[in-house]
This record gives sequence, C-alpha cells and structure tokens, in this order.
Amino acid sequence: MFLIDDIVLRSLGIEIPVFDLFWTFEQIQKHSIKQFYNPEKIKNKIKENRLLYEFGEVSRNEYEVANAELMRKLKIAERALEMDLGSRMDILE
Amino acid sequence: MGKRAPKPEDQKQGRYVYCVIPSVAEKKSFGNIGFNGQEVYTMDYKDFSPIVSDAEMREYAVSEEEVEVHKKVVEQVMLEYDVLPVAYGMIFKNKKLLTIAMGAGYAAIKKASETVGAKIELGVKVFMPKELDGWNGQKEICRSDYLDGLKGIAADFKELKLFSERLVLNAAFLVDRSNIDEFSVRVGELTSRYDQVKTQYSGPWPPYNFVDIHILGKQRKGFR
Repeated sequence: MFLIDDIVLRSLGIEIPVFDLFWTFEQIQKHSIKQFYNPEKIKNKIKENRLLYEFGEVSRNEYEVANAELMRKLKIAERALEMDLGSRMDILE
Repeated sequence: MGKRAPKPEDQKQGRYVYCVIPSVAEKKSFGNIGFNGQEVYTMDYKDFSPIVSDAEMREYAVSEEEVEVHKKVVEQVMLEYDVLPVAYGMIFKNKKLLTIAMGAGYAAIKKASETVGAKIELGVKVFMPKELDGWNGQKEICRSDYLDGLKGIAADFKELKLFSERLVLNAAFLVDRSNIDEFSVRVGELTSRYDQVKTQYSGPWPPYNFVDIHILGKQRKGFR
C-alpha cells in the first residue's frame, strides 16, 4: 500500500520528503545487494582466496570454508541473473 | 521388423575433447585417465589429432574435481606433444559431429598451431603483502620492471585481469620451449630484487591465453 501511495504521489508530481528518504534508503540497499551478489566480484574473490591459500596466507581449512561459501554465493548470483531478479536475490537464499 | 541393437553412440555416449595435437602416425592411448576412468586416445583429422575419451553427453559443471580431470589429461599429453588447448566441457554427440567441427575449425586450428607450436605458457603473478602500507607508489615501477624484464624472452605476452587489489601484475607469457631456462633465471632475478612482494611463477601450461579455445564450439562454426 505504501509503495502504491508513493508511486501515485510521484506520478502526480507530489514529493514528500519522508518518502524520498525511504526511497533513497531503498536504492542504497538495492545497490549494496547487487554489489554483494555481483558474479564478477564473487569470481574475483574466489581467485583471490585461492591465491591467498597458495601463498600460505590462509590454511587449507580456511580456504575450503571460504571457497564453499563463495561458490554458494556465485550460484545464487548466477541464478538470480538468469531469472532477472534484480535486487531480489534474498528470495533464493 | 525387429529393432536394430543400439550402437554405443546412441546411448548418450559422446566424445569429449581435451585438446588437439599435431597428427600422430598411429592411434595412441594415454591410459584410462579421462572422465569416469575412460581411455584417452587420439583421433585423426588431416594433420591434427584431437585427444578424446568416450564420455557421457551432459553439461560439464565447473567443479574443481571435474576441471582437474580435464587439466590432468592435457598436462599428461603436454609431456610428449605440443598441444592446442580446447575449452573445458567440449563434448560431441558422435565421431561424425566432431569431424565436422574439426573441418569447420581447421583453418583456425592450423593458424593457431603455427602461432603456438613448440611454445608453452608461463604465468607470473606478483602480489603485495598485506602489511606493505605506502607501497602503492612503487606498484607501477615494479610492474614495469617485471614486464620489461620478461617480455624480451617471450614470443608474446598478455596482461590478465587484476582480480585482487593486492595484485601488482598478473601476466601470461608465451615462451619457446628452448627459452624456458632463460625465462626462469630472469624470474628468479626479479624475485630477488623485489623480495618484499610475493611472486608466483607457474607452468608450463598449454597456451590457453594465446589461442581461441572455443575453436570447436558452436560460436566458431563447430557443431556439437
């Protein structure tokens, strides 16, 4: 209902500062989620994790735990991209 | 009329291609080192031999274990032959379709073979340690020193993606087999000069970064 009100008001050219503030927060949240589930960034992290292990900066166990988590995230991000979910990655978790 | 007995080719059994080598006189087996312990062997197409094993027709997932099978086969073949690497997951329904793909990609394969023949790929990654604050200014000097010092010995080189903020250099070098020792000595000298950074020197690898590994794929006129 809140969303509909907001859209209706905006379409009428009426801006309410509180709504704008919520809208800004929403955009920031959406952007953060998209960055968190960006497949390219996750792939970079996977490679970096591997390199840290190869240089002896993390143990085998630390490497494996981090790698499993990153692979899980990558799967979600790629599925979300295929399904064109935008920032609604959370529903795949 | 009775049904004919299904050929192995009808039973979802395809030919998985690991790499391509210059033609060998007789069919050669590399042992049961393929997917599901299948025999890896040579097929023939004009002056090239694709290295294949019989394998299940399916999507090959990018999992560490399966990629390792592909990698191990190519490394084994590389011990004896110059290889043209092929993308992971390249499987053809039957021998005929593989032959058609080889035909479609033949000119490109021939050209790639001339470019990378008798050469291997060596990788160099230079990584800044975590605690090296204030080293950012020297990053570019270090990168240039490594590149300038190594590219003269290589036939070609490619700078690859810097996937970490701590990476100073990530590069692949195409090196003639006869220059490997000289290249290694130079890497050693640079590593001693920059002892505060971590250097990873890897290879020899098949020249993945210097050929189109999708040469047999759909997008390159191949048929799968």
